[in-house]
Amino acid sequence: MSNFISNVKKQFKFKHIATWVIVAAVAVVLVIMSESGLLNRSTIGLLSRIAYSIILAVSLNLVVGFLGELSLGHAGFMCLGAYIGTFVASLLRESIDNKLLVLILAMLVGGLVAAFFGFIIGLPALRLKGDYLAIVTLAFGEIVRNIFKNLEIFGGAMGYNSKTYNQKDLFVIAFVVVIIVLILTQNLIRSKHGRAITAIRDNEIAAKAMGINVTFYKLFVFVVAAFFAGIAGVIYGHFTTPVLYTTFSYNYSIEILVMVVLGGMGSINGSIIAATLITVINFVLQSKLSGGLAAIRLLVYALILIFVVIFNNAPALKPIKERFSIHNLKEKRIAKKKGTIVDDAAEWNRIETKVKMDSILTPDLPHNENVTPDKEDKSPKEVK
Amino acid sequence: MKNTAKKVLAAVLALVIVFSFAACGNNGKKDDSKAILIGSTGPLTGDASSYGISVKNGAELAVKEINEAGGLNGTKLAFDMKDDKATAEDASTGYDALMDAGMKVSIGSVTSGSCAAFADKAESDNLFFITPSASAANVIEKGTNSFRVCFGDPDQGVLAAQQLVKDYKNIGCIYDTSDPYSSGIFDAFKAEMAKLGAKYILQTFDAENKKDFSTQAEALKDCDVVFTPFYYTEAGLVAKALVAKGSKAVVYGCDGLDGIADQIEGVDVKVMYITPFDVNSEAEATTKFVEDYKATYGVAPDQFAADGYDAIYAVFNALKAAGIDDVSDMDASEVCDAVVKAITDSSFKLEGATGTMTWDASGACTKVPQIVKLGA
Amino acid sequence: MSTIMDGLSLGAIYALIALGYTMVYGIAKMLNFAHGDIIMVGAYAILTTLELTGNPYIAIAVSIVICTVSGIVIERLAYKPLRGASPLAVLITAIGVSFLLQAIAQLIYGSKSQSISLPDFGKVVIGKYAINVSTIITLVVGGLIMAGLTLFVKKTNTGRAMQAVSEDRGAALLMGVNVNRIIMITFAIGSALAAFASLFYLMQIPSITPTLGSMPGIKAFTAAVIGGIGSIPGAMLGGVLLGLIEKICLSIPAISPYTTAIEFSLLIIILLVKPIGLLGKQIREKV
Repeated sequence: MSNFISNVKKQFKFKHIATWVIVAAVAVVLVIMSESGLLNRSTIGLLSRIAYSIILAVSLNLVVGFLGELSLGHAGFMCLGAYIGTFVASLLRESIDNKLLVLILAMLVGGLVAAFFGFIIGLPALRLKGDYLAIVTLAFGEIVRNIFKNLEIFGGAMGYNSKTYNQKDLFVIAFVVVIIVLILTQNLIRSKHGRAITAIRDNEIAAKAMGINVTFYKLFVFVVAAFFAGIAGVIYGHFTTPVLYTTFSYNYSIEILVMVVLGGMGSINGSIIAATLITVINFVLQSKLSGGLAAIRLLVYALILIFVVIFNNAPALKPIKERFSIHNLKEKRIAKKKGTIVDDAAEWNRIETKVKMDSILTPDLPHNENVTPDKEDKSPKEVK
Repeated sequence: MKNTAKKVLAAVLALVIVFSFAACGNNGKKDDSKAILIGSTGPLTGDASSYGISVKNGAELAVKEINEAGGLNGTKLAFDMKDDKATAEDASTGYDALMDAGMKVSIGSVTSGSCAAFADKAESDNLFFITPSASAANVIEKGTNSFRVCFGDPDQGVLAAQQLVKDYKNIGCIYDTSDPYSSGIFDAFKAEMAKLGAKYILQTFDAENKKDFSTQAEALKDCDVVFTPFYYTEAGLVAKALVAKGSKAVVYGCDGLDGIADQIEGVDVKVMYITPFDVNSEAEATTKFVEDYKATYGVAPDQFAADGYDAIYAVFNALKAAGIDDVSDMDASEVCDAVVKAITDSSFKLEGATGTMTWDASGACTKVPQIVKLGA
Repeated sequence: MSTIMDGLSLGAIYALIALGYTMVYGIAKMLNFAHGDIIMVGAYAILTTLELTGNPYIAIAVSIVICTVSGIVIERLAYKPLRGASPLAVLITAIGVSFLLQAIAQLIYGSKSQSISLPDFGKVVIGKYAINVSTIITLVVGGLIMAGLTLFVKKTNTGRAMQAVSEDRGAALLMGVNVNRIIMITFAIGSALAAFASLFYLMQIPSITPTLGSMPGIKAFTAAVIGGIGSIPGAMLGGVLLGLIEKICLSIPAISPYTTAIEFSLLIIILLVKPIGLLGKQIREKV
């Protein structure tokens, strides 16, 4: 363990700083704007929501994007953080006067409790795969919610009456937390450990064969993600009161997952942008479509979701998108110069199969190695 | 190379967002009309949306009537309800958006959980609000700025316990453990029943299991009366489940049961409930409201619509009694102090769709409960 | 006894919905989150036709047609363009479709719960227990549908083609199976089953809201996983098991507030003991 910590320290270089520098710059600009009274109240509230959404999306991305395990219970960790964090804060407030210190301690406690449960939910992850794990995490989220609903100490169905933090200060603190989370995750995924995690995602058995401690890393990712989600929950609990168990339904977990998928799996920048955009879209739809128009809000949101996903992912649209992407224009120019032959192998790779197309198309290759059933293999790989 | 392009894109997006915030900031300060904005949040989508939509319809009807009659000494009223999906965080966001739009007086939130969030923010601004339907005790406990139109949950629980013990022998009770309204009433009911030394059979359900009541009906079928402190949709299902089990029990509920008549059409069951609002009431204010509502929306109003209607009239009458007809150069806190003074005055009385109401400094509303009886 | 009958008929409903989940998952390899909302579509279809014609049988037929058609349309418009894209992208689209259906229902019918009165079939008395005929119908018809489905998949050409596609889509394509057509048929069957589920649902619970389908949908998904996702007998077993557990928990006042927690805990325990569900097929992992 100590070896691991020293390793983390060694890896902790301040490279790849662009992401969090941009976030920090935006945050500083916003703080200045808020101090000079340029921001109105709803915008300040929105900023807190964006901040905890980013933390949630980035931490879920660690599990879904980097570890490659589908989790539908992220709101459960947030729920733990929100309830426990605000409860601890109310206890601490009796003995500590400094509000900021109380909030920080509450975040640590809320995060640690959530992390503990992340460890517990990480255990089935060692045994279960794919959709089975997804339903277990969903079940976990619903169990947490159901239990908090019935606990009198947390107000039962009435929700826990937390004390909100000054909104103008809260978003600044929340953004500081966002930046810390970003620095930590950016460094984690670019370290040796990050590579081990992505190796597990790409091929667990191969990773194991390479001597990667799969058990440790799987638990580690779940614990870290849960810790961050718990902190997001504590921020949430200080943003609004009461903390109500209804908020943390599987629909909320799905909303976080939507942020991760729209932003791109395994892309921290993508998660940040998607979390911001979705929170803003929700906010704009809510504040602009009031009264009788509210019913079309869900419609608009659903349509945006479907069209964005289809546009981003539809294989049929790929050629069109590629033709117009900046990246591709550049490559084409280079290709023109060199006269490279464009090969249409990609066409075949779209069809999912256990039988490798290449091995059928090129009969002189040895067959028996490649015609092995390979159910786990979702995207066809090159012939080894 | 691709990465750089992405980063540039990210930076551009970040800038766009910053500027759109700045744009938001400017928008809010615009105040082009002198209309008094009465703000509110309520569930307009999702599971609880029928309550929010009813309140909105009732409130909009009241605002229309007031404006057609000349408004507040010539100043028009405006009403806006933001969708809060019955969640606390969306109620907070809605509150902020309304404050940015220049809200000085409000009718709070429709559901108890949201209204607690709304009340928390309203207290720090000292904004006057009178919630139509959030009946949980904690909604009006904070601050002196909070009022309500409906009955409080505990009062109904106590009243129901007394009535049931007086009239029936085998008492059953079923409540929704996941709903603040239902558990609020039940807690008071439980305490009062303990005080009266009465026994009863208890069953529960929650938001995840609120459709199929056959199990609970099985346990309750031999009771003379079943106390159902929740909303009419579920109560209708409970009534049908009881009948399906061959039970003769009377279904006895609180004001949430208003609207159950349609649900139990053709079902052989006796239903009674405590309510301030009865669609078939003879009272002049009520019949006028019911007729106007039917003419405007084509359906009979439920209690939420009546509460929304009364909340607007309470605000309107209180503003009038306080002598305020222009809030554009007052802040919310000033309006609040004047309105609170007017509404708690002993001479202030509102003849509304839900009966004759008076308010005291606690924010609770005093009005006479009626007991509506339906069925054989 | 009565609790067990209630549990069985709830279980039959879950099983019918779970079948839809399981078939689509087995063949299209996607979690069709909008499946629960097809039930809602079916319920509104029954409501509207019943109001227009007054004949419950026409209503049921119309509802089956509407569910099947909407299943096919959704598959064509939302899922087919994503064939070959990552499973998560399809999952998100399915969630979008689910929201879309709810929004459309709310725009058309409003959000207020609508009451529906289907014909009452009365009850039969066995000893001192009275059992509703509708419960028996649910069980018998549910059982018949499942048996028919199993036969269909095992014995007909289309059914075998379905198995082939589920086994290996690419190989099935090479063998001349029209994969798109098979997937479409799967959606059609799954949606028709949802129409039956909505009928039985309304027989037990005569109230319709736009969000009617979401919770039964999740519970049925749970049932499908308990039974082993992709397996038809598994879906039936999981559904009935879940229905029974739910009803038994609810009948004990001390633990009834924790019903949801118990159901889901049981799921976790079952999966920990048997990670592929009760009747799931073991998949061998290869590098």
